Amino acid sequence: MPNAKKYILTGVILGSIAAVAAGLIAATNLITAKKIKQNELDKINAGLATIYGNDAKVKDEADLENYEYSVHYYAVENSQSEFLGYAVKTSGSNMYGKISLIAGFDNATHAFMSLYMIVNEQSYATTLVEKYIEPLNKDSSKLDDVTCGATYGAKLVRDMVNDAKAAADALWSKQNG
Amino acid sequence: MMQKQLPMHSGVNKMAREKGSVRKNFLKGLFTENPLLVSILGTCPALATTKTLEAALGMGFLFTIVLICSSMLVSLLRKIIPEEIRTPAYIVIIATFVTIVKMMTNAFLPELYSTLGVFISLIVVNCIVLGRAEAYASKNGVFDSFIDALGMGVGYTLAIMLMALFRELIGTGAFSFGTIFTFIPYFKLQIIPASYEISLFQTPAGAFIVFALILATIAFIKNRKAELKANLAKQEKARKLAEAQAAAAKVQAGGSK
Repeated sequence: MPNAKKYILTGVILGSIAAVAAGLIAATNLITAKKIKQNELDKINAGLATIYGNDAKVKDEADLENYEYSVHYYAVENSQSEFLGYAVKTSGSNMYGKISLIAGFDNATHAFMSLYMIVNEQSYATTLVEKYIEPLNKDSSKLDDVTCGATYGAKLVRDMVNDAKAAADALWSKQNG
Repeated sequence: MMQKQLPMHSGVNKMAREKGSVRKNFLKGLFTENPLLVSILGTCPALATTKTLEAALGMGFLFTIVLICSSMLVSLLRKIIPEEIRTPAYIVIIATFVTIVKMMTNAFLPELYSTLGVFISLIVVNCIVLGRAEAYASKNGVFDSFIDALGMGVGYTLAIMLMALFRELIGTGAFSFGTIFTFIPYFKLQIIPASYEISLFQTPAGAFIVFALILATIAFIKNRKAELKANLAKQEKARKLAEAQAAAAKVQAGGSK
């Protein structure tokens, strides 16, 4: 019986610590959630501006389903309401961390234009950006040149862009009936 | 009832002694027990987040906050937490503060958040934080634990900033500020001409080289000091021996007379 009391007390203490911890995290989430959402929105707008130009704005957007990485699309137009193309937000992760990016596709050619990193939590994050993302954004044909010193991250980016391309192609097919 | 009389200046002496021990407690984290350069703990983030001085400062700042908060809470709960669940309880406490710090950074310092990436979350498994909770905070009061954590945090921050100083200077030839802490205006201080930079120092291999050189320098200084101390002790011993021999000779000479 004294043992049972001890076990219960231990459980109660650990449970109480966990409950207080959960409360603290929930309170922090209440304070930060709105700001984090706003930061994400700012990043997406900055990404669209980087890919399509400063006057790019979202005409239409929706979540995507049935894709491995692609989660959301944006139909982008300019200030003269000319349709510029589809931008697809994709998220994925490997053993080195999480990546979230926006891949932009041109309306005229349906080709991949460039990408914008929203989240790059890879342990070789800077190597990935310097040796793969930056050259890729200068020349979109370098998508398959993944050997860069952060090869696993580059492979993930390549797969995410290909997945986004499939999503954008499906959107164009739907648009053209 | 007779009360024991205290010496007149005992309060002042106690305060001075406490002040001295607080200073010693704080300074040990900076020098004699520096977590990175003496205990060789927390090397993973030290190698990964020291590409720029700004990133290292950011990492050190977040690390110090987590260390201080978790050490103080562990110290506060040290008499409540049973022996059997000590480690899981500490990990829950540390993970809570890391999560809070991560959310705050994501909200208010998004550039720092994206620069440090996974290394913010990895503070949970940093052995310095758990080590201080286990070795110090669980045995000492809240104030002492605060001072210890502050010293260790500042010591770690200074150590990674020292690494970053060399890596950024040799690797890029310049120091740039304002890219992570965007509230300060961006400026770049070019020290070495751009064509003379050695980009190897910006890679993980460069981090290992810098870390090894700093450790080697510290070991050299330590060994040199120990050598000097040993030489002094040897000289002292020889001098005492000579004095004893001279005294013995004098006594012998006096006896023979």
